[in-house]
Amino acid sequence: MSNRVIAIRVSAVLAAALLGSGCITSTVIDARTSNTGIGENESVVIMAKSYHLGNETERKYIRCIEDKLGGGRDGLNVIPHEQFVDSLFPWFEPRTAPAETKNLAKLMDRPGVSEAIAAQGVRYIVWLDGDTDRVAGGGSLSCAAGPGGGGCFGFAWWQKDADYDASVWDLRELESSGTVSTDVSGTSFMPALVIPLPLIARTQARACKTLADQLHSFIVQEEST
Amino acid sequence: MICSGLLAGCGGNVKLAAPTIPEPLLEQINMSVGVRMPEDFEHFVHEEEIYGQQSWSIDLGRSNAALFEQLFAFMFANVVILGPEDDPVLMPIDALIEPSIDAFEFSTPEQSNTEAFAVWIRYRLKVYDTEGKLVSNWPVAAYGKSQTTTLGDSDALRNAAILAMRDAAALMIMKFDNVTRISSLAGGASQPRSPLIPRQQSTEAGEQAATTAPEGASNE
Repeated sequence: MSNRVIAIRVSAVLAAALLGSGCITSTVIDARTSNTGIGENESVVIMAKSYHLGNETERKYIRCIEDKLGGGRDGLNVIPHEQFVDSLFPWFEPRTAPAETKNLAKLMDRPGVSEAIAAQGVRYIVWLDGDTDRVAGGGSLSCAAGPGGGGCFGFAWWQKDADYDASVWDLRELESSGTVSTDVSGTSFMPALVIPLPLIARTQARACKTLADQLHSFIVQEEST
Repeated sequence: MICSGLLAGCGGNVKLAAPTIPEPLLEQINMSVGVRMPEDFEHFVHEEEIYGQQSWSIDLGRSNAALFEQLFAFMFANVVILGPEDDPVLMPIDALIEPSIDAFEFSTPEQSNTEAFAVWIRYRLKVYDTEGKLVSNWPVAAYGKSQTTTLGDSDALRNAAILAMRDAAALMIMKFDNVTRISSLAGGASQPRSPLIPRQQSTEAGEQAATTAPEGASNE
């Protein structure tokens, strides 16, 4: 077998590995409690529920939702959460942020709060709760190297679950509009026969896309007249 | 060089720049306070060796001093930072605040079995009236947590410490007057008995309050 043929076969295997991915299953559901809708000058803020309450939503997940909701031709106006929190200091800190919509009215009465919210046109706050965890894994993979070369042999796999809930608060009506939840499970594989071939399930990225898409539909729903 | 230049700390060494807290939305308390910082607020270093893991050195520098300077300037109409030699009795102030740090603790991801660093800071705030009587002694427990990032552990630990300081600031803004009743001391400012050399210029409102308050006025 010529070197050229070997090179072509190795390239084909690598391309398959790069194009391939692990197995992903996902579900997304929403529960609406009131009508929504958003105007041209209105905006949305994506926040993580407080870590004082045990929540561990990743910052990169928040940014991903911000980017997906704000991106594209139909993107919403998304205020970066750091900017929003700073502009309302100290009332949206992990310790002080309202935990329930019934606290919103009192919050709005505090000096400067309603003005700061109005100045940024914030209509909805989306509170994210949840995280991505590795829940299982197994297999065996070993690599060795010697004077004549090296390689890996074996098979490894792991599973990650991404569970996120998004509570949508309407700051104009001072009430909850409902929730959107996504549950994504992804299993990644890495078979190795000399060369490891990672088949990675991008669990968190899928959870970001499914939740952001559903949130977009949830928020832009036309208000009933 | 890359570590010191880009991350200002690498491995187990973390150095904090003075934090900046945003201008808070609050009603400023119209009174004049003196603030005496402890010596270690100008250069606080926490060193800890975690069994079976690396040693950590966390240099807060003058972060604590910067935090309280900013915070009190937002909270009170007039703030005078007292030096070690300054006698508060000679200052035109309604109350004296002495912040201090009781404890600094942190946990690593390995210890907590998470992907986050956590920092706990316990401050103590003592408030004295114009006669030097202790009127409040308030322990403030603050907490910050930050997930590890691609920039490394030092960055996450530094961020957790800053979040803990910010948490302390939020708690003090919310509760300071409720807990210490410091506003009840407004109007008790004594007239200076000798020329003052305050480190921080008084605001116009603060100067007016200080000069119009009768000597030995009651706390009402």
